[in-house]
Amino acid sequence: MEQPKVGVFISDCGKQLSEIIDFDALTSFVKALPNITLIAKGSEFWRGKGLQTIVDAVKSRKINRVVVAESLTKISDVNIAQAVEDAGLNSYLVEVIDIKDHCAWPHRATPKEATEKAKAMLLSAIERAKLLEPIAKLEFPALKSALVIGGGIGGMQTAVDLADLGFEVNLIDKEPFLGGLAARAGRFFPTDDCAICIQPPSSDVKTITHTSRKCVYRSGFSEIPNLNILTNTKVVSVEGVPGNYKVTLEKKPRYVVAEKCVACDKCVSVCPVETLDEYNANLKNRKAIYINVPAVHPQVYVIDENACKFHNCAKCVEVCPTNAIDLDQKTEQVILNVGSIVIATGFKEFDSTKIKEYHYDDYPDVITNLELARMIDDFGPTAGAIIRPSDGKPAKKIVFVQCAGSRDRRYNPYCSSICCMISLKHASLIKEANPDTEVSICYIDMRTTGREHEYYYEKARDTGIKFVKGRPTEIYADEEKGKLIVDVEDALLKRFLDLEADLVVLATAMVPAEGTAELAELLDLDLEADGFFKEYNAKLRPTETKQKGIFLCGGATFPKDAPTASLHAHSAAMKAVKFLTSGKIVKDLRTAEINEEYCGDCEFCPVTCPYGAISLEPTTGDHFVARVNDLLCEGCGVCVGTCPLNAIELKHSRPNQMAAQINALLSVNGTSKPLVLALCCQECGHTAVDSSGMAKMEYPANVRIAKVPCAGIVRVNQILEAFRAGAQGVMLVGCKTDGCHYEVGSDKAEKRMDSAKVLLKEYGIEPERLELFKMVYIEGAQFAEAAKMMTDRVTKLGKLKLMKES
Amino acid sequence: MPHHIEKTAKSFSEEVTCRHGGETLTACYQCGTCASSCPVARLDARFNPREIIKLSLLGEREEVVSGDAIWLCTSCFNCQERCPQNVEIADVFYALRNIAIEDGHSPNIYSDFASALTAEGRIVQISKFVEKKREEYGLPPLKPVGLDSLNKILSATGFTKPEKTEEKR
Repeated sequence: MEQPKVGVFISDCGKQLSEIIDFDALTSFVKALPNITLIAKGSEFWRGKGLQTIVDAVKSRKINRVVVAESLTKISDVNIAQAVEDAGLNSYLVEVIDIKDHCAWPHRATPKEATEKAKAMLLSAIERAKLLEPIAKLEFPALKSALVIGGGIGGMQTAVDLADLGFEVNLIDKEPFLGGLAARAGRFFPTDDCAICIQPPSSDVKTITHTSRKCVYRSGFSEIPNLNILTNTKVVSVEGVPGNYKVTLEKKPRYVVAEKCVACDKCVSVCPVETLDEYNANLKNRKAIYINVPAVHPQVYVIDENACKFHNCAKCVEVCPTNAIDLDQKTEQVILNVGSIVIATGFKEFDSTKIKEYHYDDYPDVITNLELARMIDDFGPTAGAIIRPSDGKPAKKIVFVQCAGSRDRRYNPYCSSICCMISLKHASLIKEANPDTEVSICYIDMRTTGREHEYYYEKARDTGIKFVKGRPTEIYADEEKGKLIVDVEDALLKRFLDLEADLVVLATAMVPAEGTAELAELLDLDLEADGFFKEYNAKLRPTETKQKGIFLCGGATFPKDAPTASLHAHSAAMKAVKFLTSGKIVKDLRTAEINEEYCGDCEFCPVTCPYGAISLEPTTGDHFVARVNDLLCEGCGVCVGTCPLNAIELKHSRPNQMAAQINALLSVNGTSKPLVLALCCQECGHTAVDSSGMAKMEYPANVRIAKVPCAGIVRVNQILEAFRAGAQGVMLVGCKTDGCHYEVGSDKAEKRMDSAKVLLKEYGIEPERLELFKMVYIEGAQFAEAAKMMTDRVTKLGKLKLMKES
Repeated sequence: MPHHIEKTAKSFSEEVTCRHGGETLTACYQCGTCASSCPVARLDARFNPREIIKLSLLGEREEVVSGDAIWLCTSCFNCQERCPQNVEIADVFYALRNIAIEDGHSPNIYSDFASALTAEGRIVQISKFVEKKREEYGLPPLKPVGLDSLNKILSATGFTKPEKTEEKR
């Protein structure tokens, strides 16, 4: 490789730094160093004329390494890197340091010490720059197609969005009809309008308007040419990488050919088999050949394999006017190649039989809100009549029990968030239709937090619904009266009420949909403790997952009402488009690299990698080596810190680069105080240092800052090296455990520092000389405090005594 | 019993949660499941488990500790079984009773039991009737309790402490 020719650009930030730091001393210090071919001083180098100076120097090939001392590194280094890249030099050959916020401002009370620290910082950047390597960009092809799993309101909306934008979309649902939970719910709160309503595709040229929203069946949704809908279908396996997934699906037979069926109902009328209608809460029977409710999609009958007598009957085949029925249909395997996957699998009701004291499985008149929704639906099993399932008589007294299985540490500790509104909706609809019905709602807290929700609650109170503040302890049957009794204390009155009821409705908790855990396993995704899919970052990247090409929407992440699910769906579509739109994924190869000569047969790195980027692959004999997938690797270095054989390096943060950087920082002291090295993760840890400087908080100049990719990269031997290089104390500053930018880095660092302390003790070094801190940007004051504390601590401990090297 | 912690407790609820049995107090969100589960609360208006928990959380120490309510729990554990927040309600009441006894508030029947135990090693005196019954059932006669050992245990576990507190008053 070409000899390093380092250009050093020192900004005095509009002369404000030269009032503190002796710039002449600084330049003569740099001048004396080897490999320096250019030194420039200026007001600023991150834009305008200053940046042009760098560009010109790069273009003239006078320099092949760029070191810039600036301020606000988080902004300026992006500009500088881009300009250098455009000028023809790899952007990874640039090192930018912040001598304002990391040196001049915090140490302005001791200008001499600040100057000495600035020398150390520049030396450190120069030494590191000399060892930097260019890092290539790689392009990976990405298919402009997606698989959407789940055809509820979220999945349908995402599919329409993606199809509108020209992507090939495959929408699958494990049920024979689309619509999911929303379709069963019948109506939505707070508008009481019907559930099967979506934003129609923009390909609907005739009627699409800004105000348009349409029932699924008339939305033209199923006719979008680039949208392929597969019902009765589930995912069996997924292979490949983001941008290129090979998905194997299993499509169960419908026994009715969609292209021929005209939905004439003749087959249903001749079908002799009656079976319980699960979709309608088992409140009525349906035939073995059926359609759920009139407005569903697809408008194609389906045969229930568990009920149908097939060729022993075949009456439907005889009567079908279009020969649409094919009793010999087999399960099909469908293979798709897609660029990304959107999970819209939703949620389901909790199994209420688990709450023994509510006797859901003992008393037919104890039902759930979803079952009640079917009764309220005019297309439902009772045509809108609210009845007692036990005897079919009208239910005159109805009691709702909130938080059935929610906010309950025995089952689901979380608040399912939508059940209060669902019960209010149902209670109000019942009261509206039959004002004489006595309706009570037993609640712990009424939660009506969405827009218009509180007005909905107000309206419900107007209708005469009774609200009882108390969670019932038990529901039991009064055989004589033929009623159920809900045993509850009204906590506000401190009075015990035995509420009589014809019908008790459990506002059942919402839990992850069937098969959520299996799907997570198939796709290597994480679940939260409550079993829902884990979002990559709940605040900023809510519909993303740790897998770049896989997105989440709707109730798959937590129970949601329809507006929120819809919003979430649009977001997921947007993210998938952003990911796929250029047809390729361009990525800097700032990734981990395995030295296969050292690597051998352990599983530490593949298990530790938060992105599943490392796999073990067979080499000679029975041996395995680790291999890094460059597309999946995020370059955090957690694997580097984990490897017991030092067989992994990050291309942009190699051990020799880190060592050169650290040694240089510790080679100049210039203060009477003991040197303290602060290894800061480039994310929250380093920004906390920035913010302390930006806010002009002071701490002593003996504290030296070294940036590392993640606290998780730091190895125990590097800590020991730092002590040998002259550090009297070492601070490791990382992100908060839950806020780690690389998921596990902060946590791994903590464990590693614990073991490092044990080791230090063995070597006769006081473990207190090493400390881990976790901070975020806004905690600059805590960084300044920690820096002072560590300085005081190691001052008190006295000079570090190292064992003589033998 | 971590007496030193109780002394430094900042609030009454902290005083309770520091104690064995009292740890789960603060999880309560006042849903009232305990009250509707409670057979005593229906019969005696002085006792409502939800209310005692609430008063403890609000720091109404005197009202809770000197009152009758905490002594009315029959330890049926219905409430504890059904509490959705896993508050160990009956155990919280034991903790409250312990605090009450240390403060010198205990119904006479409890101090009678305690004195009987320290004096004779038994809560219930063995009557002639009992001895005769045992003989009828073929059970051996009851041996006297080793009072020395028992009192060592009682003083080591702090059982005798509340009595002393009472004497002081």
